Amino acid sequence: MRTLLIALCSALSLLAADPRVPIERYKLPNGMRVVLSPDNTTPVVTVYMIFDVGARMEQKGRSGFAHLFEHMMFQGSKNAPKGMHDKIVESNGGFLNGSTHGDYTDYFETLPSNKLALSLWLESDRMRGLDITAENLKNQQEAVKQERRMRVDNQPYALATVELWPALAFRNWGNSHSIIGSFEDLNAASVGDVSQFFKTFYAPNNAVLVMCGDIRIPEAKKLVDSYFADIPAQPSPKAPDLLEPPQTAPRWETTKDPQARVPAVFIGYPGPKRRSPDYYALMMIDLVLTGGDSSRFQLDLVKGKQSVIQFESNLGWPFGSFTDYKEPGVYGMNMLHNPNFNAKQIVGQVEEQIARLQKDLVPQAELDRIRTFFRSYRMNQLQSSNSRATQLGQYELLDGNPDFINTEMALYLAVTPEQIRDTARKVFVRQRQTVLEVVPAPEPAKKEEK
Amino acid sequence: MKTAALLLMGAALLAAQPIDRTKPPQTPPLAAYKLPPVIERTLPNGLTVILVEDKRFPLVSLRMDFQAGKKFDPAGLEGLSEMTAALLKEGTRKRSSRQIAEELASIGGALNGFAASDGLGISGNALSEHTSKLLELLADLVRNATFPQEEVNLRKQNRKQELAAARAQAETIADEKFFSVVYGKHPYSRMLPTDASIDKITRDALVGFRDQYLAPNNAFLVLLGDLPAQADLQKLLNANFGDWAKKEIPKPAAVPIPPAKRQLVLVDRPGSVQADIRVGRVAVNRSNPDYFPLLLGSGVLGTGSSSRLFLTVREEKGWAYDVHTEIQPHREGGIFEVETQVRNEVVEPAVDELLKQLRQMGAAPVSASELSTIKNFLSGVFVISLETQGGLLGQLSGVRSEGLPTEYLEKYVTRIQAVDPAQIEAVARKYLVPDQDTIVVVGDAAQIGKALEKTGKFIVEKSPQ
Repeated sequence: MRTLLIALCSALSLLAADPRVPIERYKLPNGMRVVLSPDNTTPVVTVYMIFDVGARMEQKGRSGFAHLFEHMMFQGSKNAPKGMHDKIVESNGGFLNGSTHGDYTDYFETLPSNKLALSLWLESDRMRGLDITAENLKNQQEAVKQERRMRVDNQPYALATVELWPALAFRNWGNSHSIIGSFEDLNAASVGDVSQFFKTFYAPNNAVLVMCGDIRIPEAKKLVDSYFADIPAQPSPKAPDLLEPPQTAPRWETTKDPQARVPAVFIGYPGPKRRSPDYYALMMIDLVLTGGDSSRFQLDLVKGKQSVIQFESNLGWPFGSFTDYKEPGVYGMNMLHNPNFNAKQIVGQVEEQIARLQKDLVPQAELDRIRTFFRSYRMNQLQSSNSRATQLGQYELLDGNPDFINTEMALYLAVTPEQIRDTARKVFVRQRQTVLEVVPAPEPAKKEEK
Repeated sequence: MKTAALLLMGAALLAAQPIDRTKPPQTPPLAAYKLPPVIERTLPNGLTVILVEDKRFPLVSLRMDFQAGKKFDPAGLEGLSEMTAALLKEGTRKRSSRQIAEELASIGGALNGFAASDGLGISGNALSEHTSKLLELLADLVRNATFPQEEVNLRKQNRKQELAAARAQAETIADEKFFSVVYGKHPYSRMLPTDASIDKITRDALVGFRDQYLAPNNAFLVLLGDLPAQADLQKLLNANFGDWAKKEIPKPAAVPIPPAKRQLVLVDRPGSVQADIRVGRVAVNRSNPDYFPLLLGSGVLGTGSSSRLFLTVREEKGWAYDVHTEIQPHREGGIFEVETQVRNEVVEPAVDELLKQLRQMGAAPVSASELSTIKNFLSGVFVISLETQGGLLGQLSGVRSEGLPTEYLEKYVTRIQAVDPAQIEAVARKYLVPDQDTIVVVGDAAQIGKALEKTGKFIVEKSPQ
């Protein structure tokens, strides 16, 4: 108990000097949540919108629809015809994008701060109504198919990552289908699907608006009111059933990748509940194993055994991370390895590392090191308005508490060596292991479906 | 940094504005933004130090650059510069590789070596309370690296695997081939090492390269963030770098950059479902007066989703997901290129369209709206890049490594705003000339070879693996 208190105290005193991100948070009468965070040092502002809808809410037979819809958000709205959104943001020196995730879809504009009103005008105009036509839909179906050809079908490891991995790691279709979608499902999407999806999921009560950077609160509030307050709310959508049946036996599959030249192994275990004590402890485990040049994988596997060439890992890998993870999900590791070792040996070496965590307490010096490493990493993530806005929006949407940007570090730093050991024992269980082995197989790729 | 007067003006405009949803709202012009003060000094041994104060976060960032980039690799030893850079942190006379990694993590820091065409460097950051330790580690790495034999062996082995993985991607093959064709005999043509050149690299060669080029008078250091008081910082710099001896730096024989000429190469990659296309040529470096007009012209043609290529090739024709132009400003002469990936069936009309759009740039002046779009775009991107320490560090180091003064950044936005349509048209006629462009296509020759015959006679080469 005493050591715990000391650990917590030293962790908190470390944090005392860290800068605080200011937050003003409120809700419009139509249910739209708003988070404002001023920082006037550089004349830059980010407007970030996050919607409570992602690929895991897609209907069977419509894989890829959330992402296809995201493309439709750039096809024009009532007063801003097709192309205008990009043109306005870019011609004013900003950049923008949208991205589709398992549990949410987000959009941002980062602009010189004198252009704040333009960004709000654009976002509110498309929340009021999209230009949903057969022609626009067809055009974007083609664009997404081309994106798939480029990013999935013509890239090494991509098919394994995007399609085979979720299909192996999950049993519920909501979790196991690919975010990019199949050609067949993409072709099947109709204009009616798009309208219905828009009405249900892109209503103000299903959204969070974040403004971060060179803003002033009174003017910012006035602008939000003028542009968004009179957009009507819609009935709240039903939460999807994403429940996974418990995994009772390890899964192992091997796939041949004609584009890969170096073998890879993906290893995963079902992750804990977001923001549970195990969640924070697993983050510290991830840092011990994979955080930087002094991590155990780097020192023992890349250097010591010289078996692994590159590794990456995350809770929610490959599309998510600790920040936006939501259960059910998987803690995944991707090990690109030396062909002189086979996949079984690599998995064995990872299991040895895990066994060590389950048996011995992480030494205090090592834990202190990764705490500092992590604190610095998170501090770096606060520098740009875009990164702060993204974090604030995700915390508001997923946790209902944007102040986690300031407070959650203390929760990570309070994790003890004992908790790390206990969480390792709980999470890394052989019968819940999933392995996908990617074997390079240089041969012509098979023909795509049209 | 912004003046109070400008802020108030912005506020007044916003408040006075009636909400008419049918039109984009009026907004004030981009406020003038001054870079934070840049302090530059040179130590007696010739080391240039560039300092910028930024107290927003308790962080410091730094980068040290040497004129020792990939172009200094001796022929046959391609990869020597990048391997020297990569191995600086793998052992010194004072610390093992493991100690370096652990000490860096303990200060919330990182130091990573890199090699570009012109420069070799090391960049990093840490929590500002550990600035002194970060400088101590930096000095140890650049001055005392020992290149332990087992680290050399491991790096050679893993680098070959990385290269195999990189060359499994059509994009890498296309970039590599494009550089090799346009730069001909100039060392810029050797973008990546080969397995054979990596095999030849020895520990002695690495030590030799380090001894030859890593000297204070061949380097600059940019340090920015929440810095210690000036006097303390000066003490730290003297303690870590003051007794580092000056050295005579050998000048490699100058190799001229070959003139641009039409060369057509098809790299056969059986099984590709799409074709990677590069169209371009050697152009200018950033000190050339043509640079800014070319940067804007290239932008009108292919930067962002308002550009001509995006609107035709992607939006109108639906041939490509991505199509864009690039200007890469190397110190001795940069390149201009168009990059895209299209599906096999449309490779010939796509190449034809790229050439048509290039020709068009020199045939008529760009419109006023295209010009203001690209000017505002480039200025805005620049201001936005200054939001983070890493962004400012990149800007400052980038211009310095190309031999330009830091005041280049002060004048950047003004120079962009000064370009007119006639200048763009003139540089387009000089540099965006399809007859002088090299075209590299990577794809399945059985699928696309015949169609490409319409464009001209392509030399067909085998894919590297």
